[in-house]
Amino acid sequence: MFRHSTLRYITLALLTSLALFQAFTAAYFGLEVLTEILILAMLVVALDLVAGFGGMVSLCHGALMGVGAYAYTTVSVTLGISPLVAMAGAVALTGAAAWIIGAICSRSHGIYFIMATLAFGQMAYSWVFEAPIFGGDDGLGGIPRLDLGFLGIDLNDSRSFALFCLAALGAVYGAAVLILRSGLGRSLSGVMHNEQRMRALGLTVWRVKADVFGLSGMIAGLAGALAAQHIMYISPGLLAWTVSGEALVVVILGGLGTLVGPLVGAAAFVLLKHELSAITTYWHLVVGLVLIGVVMSRANGIFGWIEARWGARLDRRLADATRKSAPEEVLNDA
Amino acid sequence: MLETRNLDKSFGAVHVTRDVSLKLERGERRVILGPNGAGKTTLFNLLVGELTPDSGSVHLAGEDVTALPVSRRARRGLSRSYQKNTLFDGLTVEENLGLAAAVHAGHATQLWSDSLAKPEVREIVREVAEQVNLVPHIHARVSEISYGMRRQLEVGVALATRPLVLLMDEPTSGVGPEMSKGFHDLLNNLPRDLTMLIIEHDMDLAFDVADTITVLNYGEVVFDGLPEAARGSKLLKEIYLGSWEDA
Ligand SMILES: Nc1ncnc2c1ncn2[C@@H]1O[C@H](COP(=O)(O)OP(=O)(O)OP(=O)(O)O)[C@@H](O)[C@H]1O
Ligand SMILES: [Mg+2]
Repeated sequence: MFRHSTLRYITLALLTSLALFQAFTAAYFGLEVLTEILILAMLVVALDLVAGFGGMVSLCHGALMGVGAYAYTTVSVTLGISPLVAMAGAVALTGAAAWIIGAICSRSHGIYFIMATLAFGQMAYSWVFEAPIFGGDDGLGGIPRLDLGFLGIDLNDSRSFALFCLAALGAVYGAAVLILRSGLGRSLSGVMHNEQRMRALGLTVWRVKADVFGLSGMIAGLAGALAAQHIMYISPGLLAWTVSGEALVVVILGGLGTLVGPLVGAAAFVLLKHELSAITTYWHLVVGLVLIGVVMSRANGIFGWIEARWGARLDRRLADATRKSAPEEVLNDA
Repeated sequence: MLETRNLDKSFGAVHVTRDVSLKLERGERRVILGPNGAGKTTLFNLLVGELTPDSGSVHLAGEDVTALPVSRRARRGLSRSYQKNTLFDGLTVEENLGLAAAVHAGHATQLWSDSLAKPEVREIVREVAEQVNLVPHIHARVSEISYGMRRQLEVGVALATRPLVLLMDEPTSGVGPEMSKGFHDLLNNLPRDLTMLIIEHDMDLAFDVADTITVLNYGEVVFDGLPEAARGSKLLKEIYLGSWEDA
């Protein structure tokens, strides 16, 4: 089950402050980068939920995000329905698609699960690529952002949109924690640990997997709807399997099954990408080397490494501190 | 309560279960004896549905459950513990029991609340912890309790689904003689209406709990009857001496 250690709280506070600082001080380009990080962070939280806590390594989460983006665009642009409804629709539709994928793939494990999800992702990709209503190779443009005018907020302003995405990421993270701490989340960790045992206890394992996959899909759908609003233009490339692969890289880079780690990973990945691509076109090589380094070090990603070194020490020191302060109180009482 | 009719199972050329027919009455406590490789664990796997028999059927509370998957049989009241611990290592005793109790109470797939906070679940966890003598260690993680206690917890997890029939695969395996005795007291204190099928290696201890005894040898039922009769049985002595010499 998911637990918040002191180190995790500190990291969350640090990340939030940095994001807020950036949101209020950065100029246009800085805000674009921040928003890119925030949207990727949502996607990798969704992926960590299934891969890190359920052992369901998915290679279709990029495609799910694409489904969210296309659903939002189709409803808001093609059908001309209000963006708010379009967003709700995108989240619901992506969640439903993910639930079905999760239900079908639930019986396969390991490499077979990965391949099955990849197949679903590729099916979505080719459908979007071929179908005329999705604009084919050219994609779709003129995508409106959510209208929060009634709150006095104009999301067409980069700063407001970045803050909006930060709020959405906060909500997504909170939802993920709640899911992991629910009865469903407890069962999910049981299934990841020993599926056969949970079945022998009477659990309908495929339902647990499908439900969590569906919830994860809803988060990916939300990330997609926001990505579409961010760039205001979408193309089939959004559903390419490399997007899923990149998300997986970020989760592993950050720390699988830590929820906080993937947030760190998302920030590190996007920053690395922008910094390096300014210097060299071979920036993927560097990311590859970092990934190899992380995997070879046998640490659970960057955050897992930090956690292994300092997490326990921090908790112990806190425990010591509380123990030291306790006898004093006893003395005072006497 | 639990019945098998002519169960047969082979792995390739190895005939592991041969024409096994058993009948357990409600509340009956039956011990299965037999040398290593006699097919005891395989019989359990067939009973709970982790293996499908080549032929024959399994009946639970009067209904044919041969075609039902593992989880549905479990929900109908068939629960088992394993020869090798299947505990959830990172979790506490309470959380281990809670996982099982939540399934029974129908909170295992709930999204809106923590299953372990539910009064029904807490109630089962408390009761089972008492039944398997783990109340003082309820908040300890699995890694922090002794091997003997883990064996108790293994049975506890199976009990926490509130079964009608409880199958235990060598609950005392690897546990010293002292603790084994305590274990058997624990089993004797379980509710009288719980039907139990227990695989046990130690004959003397087996006689402690058994109402009836079944002996398997090469996958075949070679004895089925009361403990007194088993004690005098020549056949049993042969098998017993043949395979327990090393013990
Ligand atoms: N999945 C399997 N595939 C092939 N052979 C198997 C399988 N499971 C069990 N066997 C074989 O079936 C026979 C009976 O095994 P089983 O585990 O049921 O014995 P057991 O009576 O429980 O023995 P023990 O006292 O050692 O636990 C053994 O010869 C074993 O090698
Ligand atoms: Mg066995």
